[in-house]
Amino acid sequence: MRRFRFGVTARIVAVLVVLGVAVFPLYWMFVTALSSNSDLFADQPRLTPDLGQFGVFVDALAEGKAAGWLLNSLIIAVGTMVVSVGLGIPLGYALSRFSFWGKAVLTVVLLFTQMLPEALMVVPLFALFRRFELLDSLTGLVLVNSAFVLPIVALILKGAIDGIPKELEEAARADGARPFTTLTRINVPLIAPSIAATAVIAFFHAWNEYVFAVTFIFNPDLQPASVGIANFIGELGTPIQTVMAVAFLFTLPAVAFYLLVQKYVVSGMTAGAVKG
Amino acid sequence: MTVVEQTGAPKTTSPGRARRRPSPLGSKWTPYLFLAPAALFILVFQAVPLLQEVYLSFTRTRLLNPTRSEWVGLDNYNRIFGDPEFHRTLLITIVYVITCVVVAIGAGLVVALLLNKKFRGRGVARALVTVPWAAPGIAVALIATWMLNAQYGIVNRFLDAVGLGVPGGAILDSPRYALPAVLATTIWQLFPFTSVVLLSALQSVPQDLNEAATVDGAGRWATFRAVTWQVIKPTVGLLALLMTIWSLRRFELIWLMTKGGPVGATETLVIDLYSQAFDSKELGSAAAIGMVGVVISLIVIIGSRLVARAVEKGDVR
Repeated sequence: MRRFRFGVTARIVAVLVVLGVAVFPLYWMFVTALSSNSDLFADQPRLTPDLGQFGVFVDALAEGKAAGWLLNSLIIAVGTMVVSVGLGIPLGYALSRFSFWGKAVLTVVLLFTQMLPEALMVVPLFALFRRFELLDSLTGLVLVNSAFVLPIVALILKGAIDGIPKELEEAARADGARPFTTLTRINVPLIAPSIAATAVIAFFHAWNEYVFAVTFIFNPDLQPASVGIANFIGELGTPIQTVMAVAFLFTLPAVAFYLLVQKYVVSGMTAGAVKG
Repeated sequence: MTVVEQTGAPKTTSPGRARRRPSPLGSKWTPYLFLAPAALFILVFQAVPLLQEVYLSFTRTRLLNPTRSEWVGLDNYNRIFGDPEFHRTLLITIVYVITCVVVAIGAGLVVALLLNKKFRGRGVARALVTVPWAAPGIAVALIATWMLNAQYGIVNRFLDAVGLGVPGGAILDSPRYALPAVLATTIWQLFPFTSVVLLSALQSVPQDLNEAATVDGAGRWATFRAVTWQVIKPTVGLLALLMTIWSLRRFELIWLMTKGGPVGATETLVIDLYSQAFDSKELGSAAAIGMVGVVISLIVIIGSRLVARAVEKGDVR
C-alpha cells in the first residue's frame, strides 16, 4: 500500500517537472517583459511577473514598429493559408480519388520536398524573384510559403478524403454532379476539421517563416515580425522588456491555435508521412 | 435530369451540362485539372530551383555576379571533401542529428508513458506539454539566447547558485558548451511532438495484454518490452525518420543562437551552406554542401523504407 502511494506521488512530481520544463521559457518571456529594470538586473531576479508593468505591451505596439511587423506577418499568413489550402484541397482530392499517370511520381515528389532546407532553395529563388519583380513584396512571400507548405497540406487532406466513404460521391455522381461539384458539396463539408487543421498549419508556417523573409524583403516597412524579432537578438538598443513583449505577442496566437487543433495536426502530419 | 431537378439540388444543373453530358467520373483529364495549379506551384518554387542548385554545385559562381558561372565539374565536391573544416561540419551534423533523434524520442516516450495513466488534470497536462512545439522557432531562439545570457540569464544564475556555473557564464560563446545548449533548446522544442505522437500510439496498446503479463509475474520492464514496445515500434521508426529529416534541415534556431559558432562548434550542413552562400559568397560550394545534405536525407529515407519492408516480412525483429 505504501509503495503504491509512493508511486503516485513520484508520478505527480514527474508530471509537474515535465510541465515546468515545457512552460518555463515562455513564462520567463512573460516575466521578463513585465520586469522593471531594477528587478531585471538585480542580484536576485524577480521570478513572478510584475503586473504593474503591463503597459509594456501597449507601449511595444504603440511606439515601435511592432504593430506594423505583426500586420505584415498577418497578411503573409492569411495569404499563404488561402493559397495553400485552396490548392491543397483539389490536389488532395486528385490523389485520393483518381488513379492517373504520374501519381506515384507526384507522391514521391511531395514527400521529397519535406527534406529540402529553405536555406538551400533561397539562392535560386532569389534569382527567380528578381526576374519576376517579387523581391520586396508580400505577394512573393505568400507564393513561396504556399509552395513550401502545400505538400503537407495536400497529404493531410488526401488522408482525410480517403476516410470518406466513396458511396456518398457515387450517389452524387449518379445524380449527374460533376467532379468539382462533388468535391465542394460532398467532400469539403465532411473534411472541415482537417481543413481547419491545415489552415492553422499553413497560417503558422508563414507566420513563423524567417529565411525567405529576411532574404527577400529589404524595405523595413514590409518586414514581418519574424525578421523584426530575430533582429533583436544580439542588438542592444531596444529595452529587453519591449523585445520580450513583442516576442510574446508573436508567440501567443501560435500557441493558442495549435492547442485548439493539435489533435488533427499530429494525426495529419504522421499520416502524411506514413502513407504518403 | 428531371430526377436531379426534382430532388432540388445542384445549382450547376446548367444548360452547359445538357450540351455535353460528362461521364460519371469525368474525363481522363479530370485529375490533372484538379492537381495542375498545385503541381505548377511545386514545379516553379521547388523542382526548378532544386535542379538549378544541382547545376550550381558543378559550377564556380559568385553571389555578386551570379549570371556568370563557370562549369568546373566536380571541383566543389573535391574541395569540400578535402577540407578538414567540412569534415568537422559533417561530424557536428551527425552528432546533432543523432542526439536530437535519440533524446527527443527517449524523452517523448518517458513523457508519453507518464501522461498515459489516468489522473485528474490529464487533459490540461497534455495540452500544456505541447506548448514548446507550438512556439515559433524565432521566439524560441530569442528566449533561449536571453535565458543563456552570460550576465543576466536565468540559466547562468541558476547554475552559479548550485555551483555548476560556466566560467564567465558565456555558454553560447564557449566551443564546449554551445552545441549542448543548442541541442537542449532543439530537444525542448521537439519532445512535445514525439510525446504526443507516441501517446496516441500507446492508446492502441491492449490493456488486457499488459494486465495478463503482469499477472503472469512479468516485471515492468519485461512487460514493456513484450507488449508496449511491440505496438509502438513502427511509430518510433517513423518518428526517428521525421526527426532525422527535420534536424538535417533545421536552420533558424541554430543560426539565430550561434550563427554556427563559436569557431564552427555548432556548424551543421545547412548553417555551413548558408554562410558559404552569403558570407563567403560562393554559390557553387554552397550548393555542393547542400547536395551532400540532400543525399544524406535521401539515403536515410530509402534506408528506412528498406528496413521497414524487412521488418514487415519478419526478417528483422
